[in-house]
Amino acid sequence: MNDLALAAKTEAALKPKISAKGVDVYYADNHAIKNVDVNILDKTVTAFIGPSGCGKSTFLRCLNRMNDTIDIARIEGEILLDGEDIYDPKVDPVQLRAKVGMVFQKPNPFPKSIFDNVSYGPRIHGMARNKAELEEIVESALRRAALWDEVKDRLLAPGTGLSGGQQQRLCIARAVATAPEVLLMDEPCSALDPIATAQIEELIDELRQNYSLVIVTHSMQQAARVSQKTAFFHLGNLVEYGETGHIFTNPEDSRTEAYITGRIG
Amino acid sequence: MPALWIVAILLALAAAGYLAGRARAIRSAGGDRRNMHSLPSYYGANVAMTVLIPALGLLVLWSLIQPSLIERSIADDIPAAAIGGDTTLDLMMADVRRVAGGLDQLGTPTLITKPAEAPSEEFLSGLREDLGSVGVALASDIAPGVFRAARSYQLAEANGRFWMTIAVLGVGVLGLAAAYAVTNREFRARNVVERGILAGLILCALIAILTTLGIVLSMLFETQNFFSQYSWTEFFFGLEWAPDFRGNSSLSIIPLLWGTLYISLIALLVAVPIGLFAAIYLSEYASPRMRTYAKPMIEVLAGIPTIVYGLFALITVGPILRDYFALPMGIGESASSVATAGVVMGVMLIPFVSSLSDDIINAVPQAMRDGSFGLGATHSETIRQVVIPAALPGIVGAILLAASRAIGETMIVVLGAGAAAAQFNRGLGELVNPFEAMTTVTVKIVSQLTGDTDFASPETLVAFALGLTLFVITLGLNVLALYIVRKYREQYE
Ligand SMILES: Nc1ncnc2c1ncn2[C@@H]1O[C@H](COP(=O)(O)OP(=O)(O)O)[C@@H](O)[C@H]1O
Ligand SMILES: [Mg+2]
Repeated sequence: MNDLALAAKTEAALKPKISAKGVDVYYADNHAIKNVDVNILDKTVTAFIGPSGCGKSTFLRCLNRMNDTIDIARIEGEILLDGEDIYDPKVDPVQLRAKVGMVFQKPNPFPKSIFDNVSYGPRIHGMARNKAELEEIVESALRRAALWDEVKDRLLAPGTGLSGGQQQRLCIARAVATAPEVLLMDEPCSALDPIATAQIEELIDELRQNYSLVIVTHSMQQAARVSQKTAFFHLGNLVEYGETGHIFTNPEDSRTEAYITGRIG
Repeated sequence: MPALWIVAILLALAAAGYLAGRARAIRSAGGDRRNMHSLPSYYGANVAMTVLIPALGLLVLWSLIQPSLIERSIADDIPAAAIGGDTTLDLMMADVRRVAGGLDQLGTPTLITKPAEAPSEEFLSGLREDLGSVGVALASDIAPGVFRAARSYQLAEANGRFWMTIAVLGVGVLGLAAAYAVTNREFRARNVVERGILAGLILCALIAILTTLGIVLSMLFETQNFFSQYSWTEFFFGLEWAPDFRGNSSLSIIPLLWGTLYISLIALLVAVPIGLFAAIYLSEYASPRMRTYAKPMIEVLAGIPTIVYGLFALITVGPILRDYFALPMGIGESASSVATAGVVMGVMLIPFVSSLSDDIINAVPQAMRDGSFGLGATHSETIRQVVIPAALPGIVGAILLAASRAIGETMIVVLGAGAAAAQFNRGLGELVNPFEAMTTVTVKIVSQLTGDTDFASPETLVAFALGLTLFVITLGLNVLALYIVRKYREQYE
C-alpha cells in the first residue's frame, strides 16, 4: 500500500512536460539537429550545454515553434507537450507560444513603457477583464521577476531606459505575465554582469516552483548552480542527458567529459 | 586667350610640376624612398596643388569681378543726355553688351574705328546688318554713343583678358617654382596635401551652404521690394487673388495656400495608407523573390516625370472623377479639380512613402519581432504593436518629406486642377468641394513670371514673396520632422 503510493507519486513527478522523439532539424541542407530524444520534466530546471553551433538554440526554438519564422528551417520528428503533438496541424503556434514562453539572449524590451511591456502578453491574450486586473497581473509579474521595487515608481518610463540586467528581468516579467507553463531561456545571462546574473539565477530558482524551465548556458558553473537536469549537445547530437550532479561529476561519454573539463568547446 | 586654354595650360604645368616634384624628392633621398618623410606621390601632388589652387582661384575671382568693373566704368562714360525717353541705363547697357559681343564675333577690319571717332551713319547701318548675320539682331539702328561705348567695352574686355592670362599663368609658374624649391626629402608633403584636401572639402561644403544662403538672400531682397509696393497685411491676410497687370491687383496668398494645402492633404490621404501598407507587405510578408521584383516596380513610379503624371491627370483621372463621381452627385462639372490633382499627386508620392518606410521597417531589429512572437502574438499584432511603433519616427519623417514634395509640386496641379485660384467670396461650400478647380502657390509663381513682364511691378514681384513663404513652410515641415524624430529617438534608445 505504502509502496504503491510512493510509486504513484514518483510516476507523477516523472511524467514529462515535454517529450521529444527523433527530432531532426535542417536549415536548407545543414543538418543542425540529429535524431534527438529528450524528456523535459515539470517544475524542473533543465540546462542545455555544449559548444557554440552545436544546435542548443535550434532545439530550444523547436519547443515553441519559433523556428516557424525561419523560412529555410525544416523540422521532423515528434514533440509532445502534455502528450499533445505541438507540430500537429490542429495546433496554433501562436497559442502554443503563450504556453511555452521564451526569453532571449539579448534583452529585447519593446520600445514602450515598462507597464506596456509587461502587459503586452496579457493584453493580446485577453487575460484581464479590466484595468485593475491588468495592473494586478503586471505587478505580480514584476514582483516575481524581482523588479517591482526598482520600477514601481516609473512604470510609465520606457523599458529601453533600464540597465541591461533590469531589461532582462523585464523580459522575464513580460514572459511570466502571460502565465506560461514552460519557460525557455536562451543564454539569458550572457549580456549581463555578475551581479545581474546572480539576480537572474535566483529568479530562475524561484520560478521553478511553478514552471518547467529550460535554460541554454555557456557557463558550466551556472548550469551546475541552477539546473537539476543537464543535456549536453555536440554537433547536433544529444550526447548525454541526466541528473546535473551526475553529468558534472561522473560523465559517461568521453565528449561530455572533454567539454566540461574544458578540452573541447 | 580663352579661359579654357588657360586652364589647359595650368593643368599641363601641374602635371609637369607633379613629375618634377616627385623626381626631385626621390633624388634628394638618394633614390631610397625609406629616407623620405612622405611617399613620392605626395611630393608631386604638393607641387601640382600649389600650381593649380592659387592660379585657378585667381582665374575665378578675376572672371567674376572684371565684368562689373568694366561695366561700371563704361556706364560712367555714357552721357546722361543719351538716356531718357523710352530707354534706361540698364537697357542701354544691355545693347552695349550685345553689340560688343557681336563685334567680337565679327572680328573684321571694320573695327579699325577708334572709340573716340564718330562713326558715319552708313557705317552704323552696315554694321547692323553685319551683326544681324552673326545672330545679334538689333531693334533699331545703333546710336553712335552705343557704338562708342561698345567699342570701349570690347577693348577693355580684351585688355582685361590679356592681363588676366598673364597674371594667372604667372601665379601658376610662381607656385610651381616655390613648391619645387621647398621639395626635399624632409619636407612634410603628406601633411600639406592632407590639409589641401581638407580645404577642398570645406570649400565644397561652403559652396553648398553659400548657394542656399544666396538663394534665400535674393528671395528676401525681391520680397522686400514687393512689400515696399504692396501691403503685407493684404498679402498675408487678404482673401482675394486677382492680379491685374494694369495695376490695382489683389494679391493675397491665402486662396493659393488653401489650394496648396487642400491638394497636398488629398495627396497624402492617398499616398500614406497605400505607401505604408505596401511597405508593410514588402518588408514583413513578401517572400524575398517577390520583394526583388515588387520593390523596383514600385520605385519606377518615382522615376516618371511629373509632366507625364500631369497628362495622366488631364486625360484619364480627371474625366473619370468627373463622369463617375462629380456629375452623378451633382457637385461639379469640371475635369480639373482638387481631387484629380490630389489623387494623381498621391500616386506620385506612393514610392516616396513606401520606399522609405520599407527601409525603416527593415531596420527594426529582428529581436523585437522575436520577442513579440515569443509571447504568442500573431504577425499582425506584432506589426501593429511593436514594429510600427518602433519605426514610427522614421515613418513620420517619410510622410513629412512626402508632404514637402506635394507642396512644391507644380505640373500635376496645372494639368490636374487648373490655374484658377480659390475664391473665398463664393462661400465655404465651393472652397471645400474637392471637385472644384483650384490652384496652388507654385502654379501662380510660374504664371506671374511668364509672359512679357519686367521685374518691377508688384504683379511679378509677388512671385518672390510667394516663393519665400513656401520655402518657410517647407523649412518648417523639415524642422518639425527632425524634432519628432529626435524626440522619439530619445524616448526609445
Ligand atoms: N537562422 C538560421 N539559418 C541557417 N542556419 C542556422 C540558423 N540558425 C542556426 N543555424 C545553424 O544551425 C547550427 C546550430 O546553430 P545554433 O542552434 O544557433 O547553435 P548554438 O545555439 O548551440 O550555438 C549552426 O550550424 C548554425 O549555423
Ligand atoms: Mg545559441
